[in-house]
Amino acid sequence: MRTKLALATAALTGAALALTACSGDGGSAGGDSESTTIGFFTNKAAWEPSFDDMNTASEDDGFTLDFTGYSDQAAYDAFVKQAFRTNEKPDLFTWQTGPSLGEIVEAGMVAPTTEIWEQAIADGDVEEGLAADYTFDGEQYCVPLNHVYWVMYYNKDIYAEYDLEVPTTWDQLMGNAQVLVDNGVVPFHQMNIIFEFVWFQAILLGLDPQAYDGLADGSTSYTDPSVVEAMTIWHDMQSDGYFVDPGVTTDPQTQLQTGEVAMMYFGTFLTGQLGDIDMVSNEDYGIFPMPNVNPELEERQVVVETGPLCVGAGSANEDAALEYSAWWMGDEAQSAWAESRGDLSFNPDATVADPALAEITAEVSGEGNSIHTRYLEATPVPIYTVAAEEFGAFVTNNDDPMGHLEAIQAEADAYWDEQ
Amino acid sequence: MTLPTPRQADLLPAARPTRNQYWLSSAGFVAPAVLLVAVVLYLPFIWTTWISFTEYNGLGDPVWVGLENYREMFADPEFLTSIRNTLFWVVGTIALPVGLGLLIATLSHGMPNATVFRLPFLIPYAVSGVAVGVIWSFVLQTNGALSQALAFLGLPGSELRWLLDDPLNTFVMIGAATWQGAGVNALLFGIGLQSIPKEPIEAARVDGASGFTLFRTMTWPMLAPLTTVVVGLAIVGSLKTFDVIWGMTKGGPGRVSETLALTMFKETFVNNAYGLGAAVALFLTVVTVLASIIYLRRQLADSRSI
Repeated sequence: MRTKLALATAALTGAALALTACSGDGGSAGGDSESTTIGFFTNKAAWEPSFDDMNTASEDDGFTLDFTGYSDQAAYDAFVKQAFRTNEKPDLFTWQTGPSLGEIVEAGMVAPTTEIWEQAIADGDVEEGLAADYTFDGEQYCVPLNHVYWVMYYNKDIYAEYDLEVPTTWDQLMGNAQVLVDNGVVPFHQMNIIFEFVWFQAILLGLDPQAYDGLADGSTSYTDPSVVEAMTIWHDMQSDGYFVDPGVTTDPQTQLQTGEVAMMYFGTFLTGQLGDIDMVSNEDYGIFPMPNVNPELEERQVVVETGPLCVGAGSANEDAALEYSAWWMGDEAQSAWAESRGDLSFNPDATVADPALAEITAEVSGEGNSIHTRYLEATPVPIYTVAAEEFGAFVTNNDDPMGHLEAIQAEADAYWDEQ
Repeated sequence: MTLPTPRQADLLPAARPTRNQYWLSSAGFVAPAVLLVAVVLYLPFIWTTWISFTEYNGLGDPVWVGLENYREMFADPEFLTSIRNTLFWVVGTIALPVGLGLLIATLSHGMPNATVFRLPFLIPYAVSGVAVGVIWSFVLQTNGALSQALAFLGLPGSELRWLLDDPLNTFVMIGAATWQGAGVNALLFGIGLQSIPKEPIEAARVDGASGFTLFRTMTWPMLAPLTTVVVGLAIVGSLKTFDVIWGMTKGGPGRVSETLALTMFKETFVNNAYGLGAAVALFLTVVTVLASIIYLRRQLADSRSI
């Protein structure tokens, strides 16, 4: 009898504990009169200081972000997807634009932000064209977290030493690279992980923008003559010694600082990282737009990378997170953000402190520029995964481009057949 | 004054619990452990098995696809590379960390202050695998510490791309794992050597055995039980190698240095192909369990025949 009683007590206690564990209400209650704490999750762990600055900026508006940063993309993706299967849905979280955002929108994980976008466009806080990356079935989801142009950074001392001019055409750029190689300097940085696709993006877009855009919707094959030509140009540049060995894993900003490489095709977020190692823009380094490969093209082809800040549908503080998103789009928030990150903002009224950054923004965002989504965000996830592996191997071995293109196309065929 | 007499009932031996009561109270003690193992091991295993027959991207619900993931897995040349690399790791781990551990233990056995001699080999074992990966990738990166040292000394090899070229990158990673693992194997073999009785060894010496002959004919057979454990652990450990590779090449460039554990992780969490990842996980589990059973059976059969 006693045994039975003990067992029953243990079982009931266990069940009670389990129920307690399941019924947590997700931390702070919304609608606090003082300040609302919003649970915020991101894969950008290194950006925590900037989000601390944003907490200072949002103090008067009554918002505080409770920051949780992941530094591993795979672990972060898995966390977010799993979190939405529980009662602890993230209030606010960062993601990627493109097909992977479409995936989580379709799964009902993201709260719509259509009204916020309408208001922001009416107030002139954001250009209407930017909404395309955030629109699914006529509704907008998330707001832009960051807005980055991909441009060329160069070491000014090296340019001065070899008497080089800032290039405005592809031929001039290649001419500069040849001069540097002849003098034993490595012209360009590149990597075989994370950013292994960027030179493919730059060369193909500057050669045939239509083919570049067609890769994103399956209308262009990876074995299309333009794509093959772009890969061949890249292959020849590697053969000519224009790139640093991808096995060099020193930080990119340090490579530019020490002159290990003379130029670096990168997102404008590099400005902040160069500032962190005390490099001064327009003194130590300069920035210029990537010239078109094909001189016949009428407009300059520019790549933009934009990442979303999303509100979790059904999260504990959904309303507060939506209010925060509306505040985020405004001038005050964006000026604070641009200053903290040392980067630019999607909001044209936000002040960009760095003069070189302000100049390049004006140069690539005005008339005569054609803006395209970065390859990573533009490409469906399964195709991108294979492409990243193939480009990584190509950067490493500089072997025959055709094998890599056929491998990516095989995955693209499988993907588009399923759609 | 008389002492109170104890009641008769108190003097009788306590009634023995019935079989049912005995079983119930045993079950009460065992239940928490069984429950814990079931919740954290068996249920996930059953779920993983089920997921391996579905297509699932982590969102929505899994869709039943039968053996499709297994077909895709064996048709993928990258998967075959992953199996090849895993075999490299198994052979390499048995040959290097275990072999080197045995060598260190044997050479230092009977030395005064043997512990001091073994200590430097043991220290890396305290470092986590990911940290080992980070340290060694700094040493082995192209034009990194090793290449610079070789160039400075005028030795060949400074032009090698240690972490980029296949299968060189897998071999140098096995080298890094050896740096980490040899010490603990030396420690285990050292304990084994100390537990060998002195008399038979002395008798063999009297008979004229010495050096390698003595080791081959006497020490090695008497070390067999411990060798079984060390090699068994090495096989299982190497089959699921992950951390050192993740810290050094992440299975790249491309996918040339992946092992089965990395393939499982990448398919699941990087490619969001949870079904395919689960199929790889199941394959790895079956291989590990089979390898352990086959190896241990053989070893135990051998030891019974001694």
